[in-house]
Amino acid sequence: MEFFGNILTGFQTTFQPINLFYCFVGCLIGTLIGVLPGIGPPGAVSILLPVTFKISPVSSIIFLSGIFYGAMYGGSTTSILVNVPGEAASVVTCLDGYQMARQGRAGPALGIAAFGSFIAGTFSVIALMFLSTPLSKFALAFGPPEYTALIILGITILTYLAQKSMVKALMMAAFGFLLAYIGIDMLTGKARYTFGFPGLMDGVGILPIAMGLFGVAEVLENIDFSGEVSALKTRLGNLFPNRQDWRATWKPITRGTFIGFIVGIIPGGSATLASFVSYATEKRCSKHPERFGHGAIEGVAAPESSNNAAFSGGLVPLFALGIPSSVPCALLFAAMMIHGVQPGPFLIPEHPDIFWGLVASMYLGNIMLLIINLPLIGMWVQVLRIPPRILLPLILFFCIVGAYAANNSFFDVGVMMLFGVLGFLMKRFDYEPAPLVLAFVLGPILENSMRQSLKLSGGNFGIFFSRPVSLTLLVMAGLILLSYFLFKKQRAVLDDKPPET
Amino acid sequence: MDLGTLRNPGPGFLPLMMASVLACFSLFVLVRGLTGPARFLKEIRWMSQAVMVASVFLYGLLLDLAGFLFSTFVLMGVLFALSFKGKGRWPRVLFFAAATALLGWLVFSVTLKVPFPRGHLMALWR
Repeated sequence: MEFFGNILTGFQTTFQPINLFYCFVGCLIGTLIGVLPGIGPPGAVSILLPVTFKISPVSSIIFLSGIFYGAMYGGSTTSILVNVPGEAASVVTCLDGYQMARQGRAGPALGIAAFGSFIAGTFSVIALMFLSTPLSKFALAFGPPEYTALIILGITILTYLAQKSMVKALMMAAFGFLLAYIGIDMLTGKARYTFGFPGLMDGVGILPIAMGLFGVAEVLENIDFSGEVSALKTRLGNLFPNRQDWRATWKPITRGTFIGFIVGIIPGGSATLASFVSYATEKRCSKHPERFGHGAIEGVAAPESSNNAAFSGGLVPLFALGIPSSVPCALLFAAMMIHGVQPGPFLIPEHPDIFWGLVASMYLGNIMLLIINLPLIGMWVQVLRIPPRILLPLILFFCIVGAYAANNSFFDVGVMMLFGVLGFLMKRFDYEPAPLVLAFVLGPILENSMRQSLKLSGGNFGIFFSRPVSLTLLVMAGLILLSYFLFKKQRAVLDDKPPET
Repeated sequence: MDLGTLRNPGPGFLPLMMASVLACFSLFVLVRGLTGPARFLKEIRWMSQAVMVASVFLYGLLLDLAGFLFSTFVLMGVLFALSFKGKGRWPRVLFFAAATALLGWLVFSVTLKVPFPRGHLMALWR
C-alpha cells in the first residue's frame, strides 16, 4: 500500500499548476531543441539551468527532465524530414526514416517514432518506479569503499563504451577528475590549482564547462557550414501507422524499450548508444535485413523507442545510488546539488516529492509530448526552416548571457569560452566530452570516499578487496579492462555504426 | 601540495593519481601520434573560430565600458557577419544584431533583471 501512497504523492505534486506548467514548458523546449540541429539537449539544459535557480527543486527537476525526454521526440522529426539528426540520439533514425519520407511515407514514420517514444517512455517509467526503491535500499549499506569501487567500475565501463578510443576516453576522465579538484579542498581547506585566481577558489562550475563543451563548441564547429537545411517537401498525409505497420513494429518497439532501459542504466550507456544497439539488434532479428536502410519502419521504431527508454534507465542509478550514468543525468545531478538536494540512496526517502513527482510528471509529459508532436507537427516543420546561420550566433549569445547570469561575473564566460575551444579541438581529434563531464561530477565523491576508506583501513588498500561488494565491482572493472586489451578488434556493437552524417 | 600519507591522504593525493594517469596516456598517444600517419593542425579551418572567440573576450572588456546594449550590438554584428555569407548581407547583419541586442536587453535586463554593467561611457553621456 505504501507504493500507492507514493504514486499518489507524485501525482499530487505534478498536478500542482506550477509543476504542470514547468512540465509542459520543458517538453515544449525539449521538442524545439530536438527539432533544431546545432544544439543538443545537454547544451540547452546547461543554458537554462540558471533560470531554474529561483524555482523549487521539484519544479526544476521536472522542467529539466522534460527537456531531455522531449528532445528524444523532437530529434526524430529532423532526422526523418531533413536527413540531418536533430540531436545525437536520432542519428540512426536518419537511415530508414529519411528513406521512408522519400517514399512518401513521412507521415507513418513520424507517427511510429512518436508512438514508439510514447510506449517506451511510459513503460520505462514504470520500470524506473519499481527498480529504484529496492536498489536504493540495497545501496544504503554501501560504505566509502563500495562507492570508490562503484565509481571506478562506472568510469571503466564508460570509457570502454567510448565510440572512438578507450585510451583517449580514459584521458578525458582523468582530466575531468583533475578539474573537479580545482578550488578549496573540503577536508583540509587548502587551495588547489587556483594559480592565484580568486575566481577559482570555489572551483570551476559545471555550468560553464557544459555550456562550453556542448554549446559553444557546437557553434564553433558549425559556423563555417554554409549549406541550407532543406526539409523534404512532402505531404505528411496520415500520421497514424496502419495495422500492417503496427504488426511490423510491436516487437521492435518492445525490444527497443527493453534494450534502451538496460543500456541507460549502464554508465556511459547514452541514448545515442541505445539507439545504435537496438537498430543493430533489429537488423539481426529481422527476416529481411536487406530492407534496412531502404525505409524499413522497424528501423525507425526501434531506435526511437530505445532512446526514450534510455533516459528513464539512466535515472535508476541517479536516484538509487546518486551516480549519474550519462551526460543528461550528470546535469540533473548538478541541478540537484545546486538546489541543495544531495543525490544518493537517501534521496528517495528524504525527498519523496522529487522522485515520485518526477515519475508522475514523466507519465504526463509523455502524453503531452504525443500531443505536442503529432497534431502540431506542421509547426515543427516550420521551425525546421529557420536557417542555422541565424541560430548559431543566437546560441552563442544565449550561452554568454547564461554563463554571465549564473554568477553575474564575466569570469565564467571566459571559462566557458576556454572549454568551447577545448571542446571544438576535442571533437576534431576524437576526444569525447562525456567522460570528462561525468568524471567532473563524480570527482568529489570519488575523492571523499577514497580518502575516507584509506583512513578507515589505516592506509591499507586491502579494504577495497576484503569487502564482497567492492571486490565484485573491482573485479568486474578489471575484467572489462582486460577484455578491452584482449579483444580490441571484436567490439561488435560499435561496428554497426552507420557512416557519419 | 601536501600528498599526505596513505594512512591520512592529503589534498594532493587524488590529483597526483589522476595527473599520473593523464601523463601516462598522453605519452602513449603522443608516441602513437608521432609514429602513425601524420595529421596536421592545418586541416582545421580556424579563422572564423578565432575571430569568434576573440570577439567574445573583447565583449567582456567592452561590456564594462559601453554597457550591454551597445556591446551586444557590436558582438552580434561580428557574429552574424561571420555566419551570413554572400552579397548584400550587411543590412541583414545589422538588422539581426540590433534585434538581438534590443530583445536581449528587454528579456534579460528588464524582465529577468540580470544586473549587466551599465557602462561607464553611457553614464558620462547621460
